[in-house]
Amino acid sequence: MPASVAQPNGSTTNMTRNAGALLVALALTACGGGTDTRTEGTGDGTGGTMIVVSTSEPGTLFPPRAISAQEQAVVASVFDRLAEIGPDLNTIGDSGFSKRLASDWSWAPDSLSIAFTINPTARWHDGAPVRAEDVRYSFHVYTAEAVGSSARSLLGNIDSVSVRDSLTAVVWFKRRTPQQFMDATYSMFILPSHLLASIPDSALVTSPFARTPVGTGRFRFSKWEKGSRLEIVADTTNARGRAKLDRVIWSYVPDFGAATVKLFAGEADLLERIRPEIVSQIATNPQLRLETNRPLQYGFVGFNVLARRDAIGAGARPHPVLGDTRVRRAFTMAVNRSRVVRAALDSMGLVNLAPAPRVLIPDTAALTPLPFDVAQARALLDSAGWVDSNGDGMRERNGTPLSVELLVPSVSPARVRLSVLLQAALKEIGADIKLNTLDPKALMPMIGSGDFDAWMGGWDANPGLQGLRQTWIGKGSSNYQHYVSAVFDAEVDSAFNAFTSASRTAHFTKAFQQAIEDAPAIWLYEERLPVAIHTRIKIAPFRADGWYVNLADWSVDPARPIDRDRKPAGDAR
Amino acid sequence: MRLVSRAVQSLLVVFVAASLAFVLLQAAPGDAYSDLGDASSMTPELRAQLRAQEGLDQPLAVQYRLFLRGIVRGDFGYSLSQNQFVSDVFRSRVPNSLLLMSLALLGSVVLGSALGAWQGARAGSRADRATVFTTLLLYSIPEFWLASVLLLVFVSTLHLLPSSGMITVETYDALSSTGQLVDRLRHLVLPWLSLTLVGTAIFARFQRASMQEAMREPFVRTARAKGLSERHVRRQAWRTALLPVVTLTGLFFPTLLTGAVFVERVYSWPGIGSALVQGIFDRDQRLVAACVVAGSALTALGSLLADVARVVVDPRLRAK
Repeated sequence: MPASVAQPNGSTTNMTRNAGALLVALALTACGGGTDTRTEGTGDGTGGTMIVVSTSEPGTLFPPRAISAQEQAVVASVFDRLAEIGPDLNTIGDSGFSKRLASDWSWAPDSLSIAFTINPTARWHDGAPVRAEDVRYSFHVYTAEAVGSSARSLLGNIDSVSVRDSLTAVVWFKRRTPQQFMDATYSMFILPSHLLASIPDSALVTSPFARTPVGTGRFRFSKWEKGSRLEIVADTTNARGRAKLDRVIWSYVPDFGAATVKLFAGEADLLERIRPEIVSQIATNPQLRLETNRPLQYGFVGFNVLARRDAIGAGARPHPVLGDTRVRRAFTMAVNRSRVVRAALDSMGLVNLAPAPRVLIPDTAALTPLPFDVAQARALLDSAGWVDSNGDGMRERNGTPLSVELLVPSVSPARVRLSVLLQAALKEIGADIKLNTLDPKALMPMIGSGDFDAWMGGWDANPGLQGLRQTWIGKGSSNYQHYVSAVFDAEVDSAFNAFTSASRTAHFTKAFQQAIEDAPAIWLYEERLPVAIHTRIKIAPFRADGWYVNLADWSVDPARPIDRDRKPAGDAR
Repeated sequence: MRLVSRAVQSLLVVFVAASLAFVLLQAAPGDAYSDLGDASSMTPELRAQLRAQEGLDQPLAVQYRLFLRGIVRGDFGYSLSQNQFVSDVFRSRVPNSLLLMSLALLGSVVLGSALGAWQGARAGSRADRATVFTTLLLYSIPEFWLASVLLLVFVSTLHLLPSSGMITVETYDALSSTGQLVDRLRHLVLPWLSLTLVGTAIFARFQRASMQEAMREPFVRTARAKGLSERHVRRQAWRTALLPVVTLTGLFFPTLLTGAVFVERVYSWPGIGSALVQGIFDRDQRLVAACVVAGSALTALGSLLADVARVVVDPRLRAK
């Protein structure tokens, strides 16, 4: 901070003189370069700097508390799991998983434990060797109540982790399930016990480690200037080989417009979460290209099937409008979902089929969505007693208008656009949809307390779809729609316990078809969320659970380095 | 005695502002843990547990008592939006805001008073009318809009200046100290200009009116009658006309602070203003409260300094 630049002077004459000098300096520097080029070759396929411009900044880099995509992107680059899920996101057994910190693993004959052998050459970024104790400690932290990790609910089937020897950690399970290997690997990054064990669990989240993490990944943490930038650099001594890029810098620009200016001005190489309005601009920019990214997210219009503020259980009353399956089905059938999604998201959206993103639905062809059929929708409402008795175009039943309030999160432009289109579509069948657009902080308490009719919702799924237990199963704590179906619950449970892919597919298909028929939601959209990226950057294939998963394999085209690729990464080692 | 009374008043203002901030944040629906994205693993039970850990489930009276105790001790606790202690947030961000604001204040005072004096001495002329129209236009423009326009012109169209931040993130560390200074100055231009243009317009309007009035004072007529040159006459008049500007400088802090909040956001300037906006979005009570306390203290201090400065520069007030 050049503090001397900013000293106001009390004298008017001096103030004038200083201001003049400052303005001259600013004018000169505005037109000046300020660059100090030092070159470094990139001929071996490594090197280069990539700048990611992001509108959100991580809150924490402490893996058990990292939730947002921005947090996960850094954490997944700096830390390692024991094994990494394959590109097809298979979660049955260990098929498709590749070695990370574990160089090998063996199953117990009864499959109730897995012994992981730690790669003896693996080192923490501070030089300390990785030990089995780190695995035991990581499980302890992820499941400690004081830490409050969201992954805790996903580790419920792990009973304990024991240390057989310094390089062998044994994960013990409560029962045999098809996804137990995933439970032991995917939900948990390994933490350095030698740095953290002396810190009380309750203080871990606020400890300096949460801002300056030490991991084992092919990138290591370099610096984080809050509100400005975060930098990771290649760990050149990594046991699995250095990251190909020298540096990845996240530059945080909260305003989306300013972020796009930064991208188009060439100050950044990658912008995630592109909005439809700038897609054409990117397409015409020779320095940029779009890479398709289909994240594990889906969006829906969730219907509260119980009366406002009622909870599942004895005495719960059905919602006066949405408690009737016929009405919910009519609402679904009245919406031309392909057209609505196209109109709202252009080529960046596709219709969602069921309570899971298409990537994770084992057999999409086996599902039969409710058709777009306005006549049938009207007939269903007629049969439910909702008729236009006064000729005003809107339906009533016993003097009560067919009216529903739809809560919309204001921060999602896609959901705001979709809600307007839905309102128009449902008006065609005589339903009055009142839109209430709210800040998510105001919206979620209403959803959580059941004080709503319908909401524009969305969920991030994980490869094993375990989130279904929370979100759509009758007893799920995030089942805000209060949807209860014995068939759906049983089929989902059977799918989770199926040891063959065929059986799993069959059960999930039945469950999802049931959810389609019951229509607790209009299964509406999935976003493609393409990533805008500089054409000189060569990427590894995207995995659906995060574009950043194989970041260490990204590189700069050696024939096309730009000025910032030639800057030495001072912190790399 | 008067100063002591003003100091007590200032403390009262800070207390009321802090209490209002607490009440308004409590009245706003939701809290820091109401919405943590769409992760299905973020269950209501976990949210409740996190709330309890942070004491957000305590009765309002208890939370208010803890809040006031924190203010008195200067310990605002842990910021949930920044994941840092509030004191650390202030330590890293306040200098950046002060740099921007002090330079903007300096620019506004110098340019505004010079322009206003020039206008006031030529009131009614074509040049005066043209500049009055321009300053009125700038005066009416919100800083964030002006910031966006400058961004489009100087970055998107002319490619003259960097778009955001305080430094060029990828090259800064490799630059020489001169290069680093130049880099920082380049990043400072647009945020500074956004605040200073509006500030200049405000000061110019006050200075012009004051100068006009001063030019009608008897001493000006006397000076002219004595045969002093018009340049000397205007200089004499300007000294008298500076008094309202001194007062305005002290009262300008709130305007500057508000402007800085928006300008910092548009240019990603890592100051306390952008942290405050994020804190409001995230219902980060502790950070917002600390910002309100700091902001109201700064405003009260500005007002107090303006009073002192008026006494110092105006012999008539000293005589009373």
